[in-house]
Amino acid sequence: MGSIETPPSAENGSATHTAMPEGDQKPSGGVGFAPPVNEVTMESEMLKKRKMTMLPLEVGTRVMCRWRDGKYHPVKVIERRKLNLGGVNDYEYYVHYTEFNRRLDEWVKLEQLDLDSVEAVVDEKVEDKVTSLKMTRHQKRKIDETHVEGHEELDAASLREHEEFTKVKNIATIELGRYEIETWYFSPFPPEYNDSLKLYFCEFCLNFMKRKEQLQRHMRKCDLKHPPGDEIYRSGTLSMFEVDGKKNKVYGQNLCYLAKLFLDHKTLYYDVDLFLFYILCECDDRGCHMVGYFSKEKHSEESYNLACILTLPPYQRKGYGKFLIAFSYELSKKEGKVGTPERPLSDLGLLSYRGYWTRVLLDILKKHKGNISIKELSDMTAIKAEDILTTLQSLELIQYRKGQHVICADPKVLDRHLKAAGRGGLEVDVSKLIWTPYKEQG
Amino acid sequence: MSRLSFRPRPLDIHKKLPIVKSVKDFEDDDVPSSTRNSQLLRLAAGDSSENEVHHHHHHHHHQGPAPAPTPTPTNKKASPEIPTPQFVVVDTYERDYSRTFAQPTSYLRARGARAELGDFVEYDLDNEDEDWLQDLNRDRKVLPPDKFESLLFKLEVLDHKARERAGVITPTLGSPIPVLLQLDAATEALLALSIRYAVIQSVYNYWKEKRERWQKPILRRLQPPPPVNDTNPYNVFRPREKAHRLHTRRMQRRENNVQSFEKLRQVRRNLDQAKTILETLIKREEKKREVMETEVSLQRIQMKYKHETELLEDSLALPGFPPLSKFGSSEEEFMDSDDVANSRLGTRPSAIHNPPLQESNLVFIPTGNMKQELKGRHVSQGWLHKMDPLEPVLLFTRPLVPEKLAAAGIAPPPDCSTKDEVSTPAYKFRGRIGRGGRLIFDRWNPLLHTPIDCGNSFYIPPKPRPATYN
Repeated sequence: MGSIETPPSAENGSATHTAMPEGDQKPSGGVGFAPPVNEVTMESEMLKKRKMTMLPLEVGTRVMCRWRDGKYHPVKVIERRKLNLGGVNDYEYYVHYTEFNRRLDEWVKLEQLDLDSVEAVVDEKVEDKVTSLKMTRHQKRKIDETHVEGHEELDAASLREHEEFTKVKNIATIELGRYEIETWYFSPFPPEYNDSLKLYFCEFCLNFMKRKEQLQRHMRKCDLKHPPGDEIYRSGTLSMFEVDGKKNKVYGQNLCYLAKLFLDHKTLYYDVDLFLFYILCECDDRGCHMVGYFSKEKHSEESYNLACILTLPPYQRKGYGKFLIAFSYELSKKEGKVGTPERPLSDLGLLSYRGYWTRVLLDILKKHKGNISIKELSDMTAIKAEDILTTLQSLELIQYRKGQHVICADPKVLDRHLKAAGRGGLEVDVSKLIWTPYKEQG
Repeated sequence: MSRLSFRPRPLDIHKKLPIVKSVKDFEDDDVPSSTRNSQLLRLAAGDSSENEVHHHHHHHHHQGPAPAPTPTPTNKKASPEIPTPQFVVVDTYERDYSRTFAQPTSYLRARGARAELGDFVEYDLDNEDEDWLQDLNRDRKVLPPDKFESLLFKLEVLDHKARERAGVITPTLGSPIPVLLQLDAATEALLALSIRYAVIQSVYNYWKEKRERWQKPILRRLQPPPPVNDTNPYNVFRPREKAHRLHTRRMQRRENNVQSFEKLRQVRRNLDQAKTILETLIKREEKKREVMETEVSLQRIQMKYKHETELLEDSLALPGFPPLSKFGSSEEEFMDSDDVANSRLGTRPSAIHNPPLQESNLVFIPTGNMKQELKGRHVSQGWLHKMDPLEPVLLFTRPLVPEKLAAAGIAPPPDCSTKDEVSTPAYKFRGRIGRGGRLIFDRWNPLLHTPIDCGNSFYIPPKPRPATYN
């Protein structure tokens, strides 16, 4: 009640920001405009009037919003929609926290917004003037267009198109096995799922449903306890399954829908037939639980050995991503090919890859005696020569001296870089990989 | 800093690079601008290593006043703020998922797809199904949810089979997909489930209404993918033709469609036209050659005619000599060639006109002999055959005219090899007009009686002439 006036407190801040039904928390329709209990001054009446006239907030409005940390952060209203049971001015707002990545955009209730902080209708021209003092137009445009970091490789037009279609996250939360997870991005689920903020996934066959009871009924009949493919690696409780998108079309599509919720620039444009999915699982007596996956084209003309890679949020920061990357290169080695991940890489993806390349290459350079060419490094590691070059150059290990390139491999410097790159986490035990490269049947 | 370190060459990935282990090796040296070098290298590599740069922009943008630029690459990488993912543990999890899985010792193998297994009910009830069922079961339990699920699933499969039989399965979702399954066919097929007819009928009606509203199968597996040319980003999982070749968007432009067919037809048309042009070109060149040959033979005739006239004039001017009409009319003799002209030179009856020349060895020979000799030579040598009959011949070579030489004050080289041959003057050298109008005197080979430095085609056997004159 009256949450506008309520000063932000840590307790309030930690309140749910997921799209849970909140009918019991406040009467519908009375969003923050109940009469204050105490004295009513003229000013506050005036203020309220002003607030009434600004509602509903326009798309593009800049305002402060209470976030999950209990603090207020500047946001920009991306979209608004009427509440089902609300009055004329009862909207909820989809906001972008200007300090953070797009993945944190979310629907918020009016009570989370500090209407005192609403800026006058945003005049883009005025804004331009302010910013142009410090930056060139080009710089500014770049920032505007790439407020999602990690996607600099997309051109401006496709990025705009992308953001227009995906500006509003459709599914806010999913339940997958043991975890209820907040999603990060829009995913093009079939239109029948448009009215749902939360989806319930079967953690084995990845079918998704709108109600918990549907999932529970599904779980009673679902006959899968692991991904529907061949197990090609097992080490301890960790297993890797290879799923052919052609043989398991619905599974592959389910996985893509799911993964898109966490990957900004994943495309679901083409069918899954031409991909193999490598599902990494932690196994226990309930089954094999997906912790992450990567997909790979069956035949890549561009020598891609990985198309999409994802570690599910509950399993992030545990070294699974590094394991998946290392695994993709082990497959390439078995194929006798060099490989590279498909671009663009996300911020997280780039970080992981840089770390992997740094570790692998610097480990070799530390031990190697005598001269070595980039090609030789590539042959040893299945890392594409270009990626090797960028890695070594970004670490400034390749220098030009007395008319020739040399690799600077001072042990102290290498150790410093290795430390910064972090340890590899889970190792791939190649002896446990039982796999033959994909062959077209028939 | 050395000049070279300014412009490093692009790195050759095949070249063995020395690995320098100690940083001291560098510090002794003058400090290279490694940043600059690496930037250049990046350019050379053509790679977009701009990510860090962008991260910095991003950083500034979000954090307001920019912090001091991070000094080491290590800090650079840590700078983008990546949030901790939010998740909570589902409290019903341990109840919903049973502990019934035991890993076999061997690696698990894939089984067939669900559709192939048959008895698995692929369909899961959705919200409106549940709501409708709740309505149906309001008074008393008529139909349990799993039976309802199974019914809907079977109706979907039966309808799909009906469409398969009718041959109306579309590869892509271009237009609404009609319901083909009839109620009586459905009831008959569902008899085995031992469900009351009334229930089956109302489920069928519900399904049909929903199915027609969706305009596509409600079981996802049976829904066709969107058409290839559908650009709506919400429609996903488009099929790709010619699967293993065209799997990037760039390559899709070369798929087997009407446009490609038209393009190939155009290519074929172009090639056909090129062929026609080339054939016409060949014809033209052949014609040109014919024209050339005709011109050459015309010139031959003209020359022959001209020489004939000259000789005639000469003989008229020198009444002491018999006319040489026969000589001129001989066909073979005037096959225009340098050597013919040469061999004829000495025969010019010009001595009388030109006393100095007369004294020299450029003396004419009796014509009767000469003609005979020339004829014999042609026949015996068969030299005509050595020449390409199609080869056009340059016609500038003319015999020397002694009187003209004298008039110009040109004297032939003195004869220093006079021999004891009595009456017949030996051919010590021969004069002619060479290419470019130069006067050329070929030395005479006394043994072979041929001009020295002449090619084989000028070869004249020693036999005829001395024999003739002896």
